[in-house]
Amino acid sequence: MKDYKLEVWITAICFMVVAVTGGFFSSIVVLLNERFFDAVPTPEALIPYYGEGMYVFKQQLSIMGFPLHYFLLIMLSWIGVTIIGAIWCVVMDRIEARQKG
Amino acid sequence: MEPRGEVFVLGLILSMVVLVVSILISVWARRFTRNLGDYYVAGRSIGAVNNGLAMVSLALSLTTFLGLTALILEGVYIAVAVYASFTAAFIGLMILAAPYLRRHKSFTTMAFISERYGSKTLRYISVVVMLIVSVLYLAGNLKGIGIVFFYLLGVPEVVGIIVGGLVVTLYVTVGGMYGVTYNQTFQTIVLLFCLMFPVAIVLKTLGAAGWYFPPLGYGDMVPLMSQIVPHYFWPMLVHPVTYIAIFLGSFFGIIGLPHFVMRFFTVRDAREARWSTVLCVFLVGLVNTTVFATGFAAVYYMNTQGVDIPTAGYDYMVFILVDALAGQGWLALAVAGSVAAGLSTVAGLLMIMGVGLIHDLYGAIKPDVDDEKKLKLSYATMFIVGILVIIFSLNPPEFILKAIMWAFGIAAAGLGVPIVLGIWWKRTNKYGAGAGMVVGTLIAFLGWIMIDYMGINPVDIPFPFFAKYFYGPLGFIKVTAVAVPISFILTIVVSWLTPPPGPELQRQVDEMHGWTDVDPKRYNSKGLPITIIILSVFVMWFMTTLYDVFPK
Repeated sequence: MKDYKLEVWITAICFMVVAVTGGFFSSIVVLLNERFFDAVPTPEALIPYYGEGMYVFKQQLSIMGFPLHYFLLIMLSWIGVTIIGAIWCVVMDRIEARQKG
Repeated sequence: MEPRGEVFVLGLILSMVVLVVSILISVWARRFTRNLGDYYVAGRSIGAVNNGLAMVSLALSLTTFLGLTALILEGVYIAVAVYASFTAAFIGLMILAAPYLRRHKSFTTMAFISERYGSKTLRYISVVVMLIVSVLYLAGNLKGIGIVFFYLLGVPEVVGIIVGGLVVTLYVTVGGMYGVTYNQTFQTIVLLFCLMFPVAIVLKTLGAAGWYFPPLGYGDMVPLMSQIVPHYFWPMLVHPVTYIAIFLGSFFGIIGLPHFVMRFFTVRDAREARWSTVLCVFLVGLVNTTVFATGFAAVYYMNTQGVDIPTAGYDYMVFILVDALAGQGWLALAVAGSVAAGLSTVAGLLMIMGVGLIHDLYGAIKPDVDDEKKLKLSYATMFIVGILVIIFSLNPPEFILKAIMWAFGIAAAGLGVPIVLGIWWKRTNKYGAGAGMVVGTLIAFLGWIMIDYMGINPVDIPFPFFAKYFYGPLGFIKVTAVAVPISFILTIVVSWLTPPPGPELQRQVDEMHGWTDVDPKRYNSKGLPITIIILSVFVMWFMTTLYDVFPK
C-alpha cells in the first residue's frame, strides 16, 4: 500500500505542476496582467485594435532580455516539464523494481 | 498569396531526396514484418531513443513548422500558450496513460477501451471517434505539403497534396509500423537540422547576439521590438478559461489521439515508454522555442524592413523569411525539413486509421479471421484509406492549426476521458464510459460542424446556456471547456449509478499499474472522482464569470 500511495501522490503532484505550466500559468498572467505590464497610451495606429490604452511589459521584469512572463512560459513548458517528467520516471522506475521484487 | 516565382531546383532536389529515402527505408524495413504484431506495433521491439525520436516527428507536424509561425504573426502570446500546453501535455500523457497502456498489451486505443470496459459497442464508437479526429488532423497536414509545393513550383496546392499523399500512402502500406517508426526517426533528425540551422542564420542576419542558439538567442532584440511593436509580448486578453480550454484539449486530447498513443504500444516495456516521452518532450520543446524565435524574427523583419505580408500568406512565412534573410541553400534545407515534418505525421495517422479499421472494426465483426488474412487486408485497407484521405484533403481548412485544435478537443472529450478514468478509477464501467464518450464527442463534433464547417458565429450556435459565453477571439476553443468536463461528469455519475465492472475488468487496472496481486482498495477511492467533478463544474462555472471584463 505504501508504494501505491507513493505512485498516486507523486503522479498527482507532478500532474498539478505540469498543468500549471501547461495552461493555468497562461491564465494567471491574463488575470494578473497589471503585475507584469504597465499601462501606456496606445499609439494612434493601434487604437482600432487596443482602444485608447494598452500595456507594455515592465522593463525591470526581464530575464536575458525577455519579458518575465514570456521567459517563464517558454522555459517552464520546456525545461521545467522535462525535469518534472524525469523525476517522475525515476520514482516509477524504483516502484517498478520493488513490484518485480 | 503568390508563389515564389521560379522553380526552386535545389529545394525540389532535397525534397525528392527526403521522399525517396522515406520509401527506401520502408522497403528495407519490410523485411522485419513477419506477422500482424510486426505490421501493427513493430513487434513491440522499439527502444526508448528510437521511440522518443519517432514521437518528435509525429508531434512536430507541418502545424508546427508552418502553422505555428502563422499563429505567432496573429499574436505571440496565444501561440506560446498553445504550444506550452502542447509540450507539457506529453508529460501529462506519460504520467496519466503511456506506461499503463503499454502494460495493457493492446494494439490500439480502441482495443484498450473495448477490453478495459468489456464492450464491443465501445470499440465501434471509439473507431468512429478515431476516424473523425484523424481525418481532421490529416487534412491540415496534407494542406501543409501542398503549401510547400505551391511555393516552390507555383503549381496548385492540390498537386502537393496528391504527390505527398501518394508517397506516404506507399511507404506506410509497404513498411507497416517498422517502416513508419524508422522513417519518423529519420525525419526527426532531418527536421531538427533543417529548422535549427536556417533559423540561426536568419537571426544572425537580423543581428541577434545569440544567433547560434535560436531558442534563447534573440533577447537583445527585444528592446527594439518593444519600440516598434509595443504590444508584441502583451498577452491576448481573452477570458482565462480560453487558456484552460487549451490545456484540457492538449492534455486529454493527446491521450485521446490514437496515433500518439499507438507509439507506446510499439516499445519494449513501460520503462522504455516513460523515458522515450522525456526525450521527446525535451526535443519538442527545443523545436517549439526555435519556432517562437522564427515568429519573432518574422514580425521583427516585417516591421523593420516595411515588408507587408497578407494574412493569407502567413502559412508561408518561414519560407519567405529564410529566402529573404538566409539564402537559397538554407531555404532548400527548410523546405526539406518541412516535407519531412508533414510526411511523418501523415504516416502515423494513416497507420492508425488502417489498423483501426481492420483490427478494431473488421476484427471485432469477424473474430474468426486468421492473422494472415488480416495482414493482407491491412495492406489493402491502408492503401484505400490513403487514397480516400487525399480526396478528402483536396478541400483543406483555411488555416492548418484551427483544424488541429478541433481534433484535439474532440479526441479529449471522446477518447481521452475514458482512457484516463479507465486507468485510474476501477469503478468506471462501460455505461459511464459510453455516456461520456458519446455526449462529449457530440458536443465537440457538432461544435466543429456548426462553427468551423457551417461558419456560424460561436455565440449563435444552438447550445443551451453556454453559447453566449463562446465570445471573443478564439471563442470556439471554449467548446472544449464544456465538452471535456461534461464527458468527465457523465462518465463518473453514470458509472456510479450503474453496476460496477466485474472482477476480471477491475483486475486489469492493477495489472496496468504493474501489480502482480489484486487489491480492491487500490484505484477505487471516492476522492479522485469527487475531485474531478468539482474541478469540472468549476471550469464551466468559471466560463460564465467575468462576462463584462474581456473583449467580445
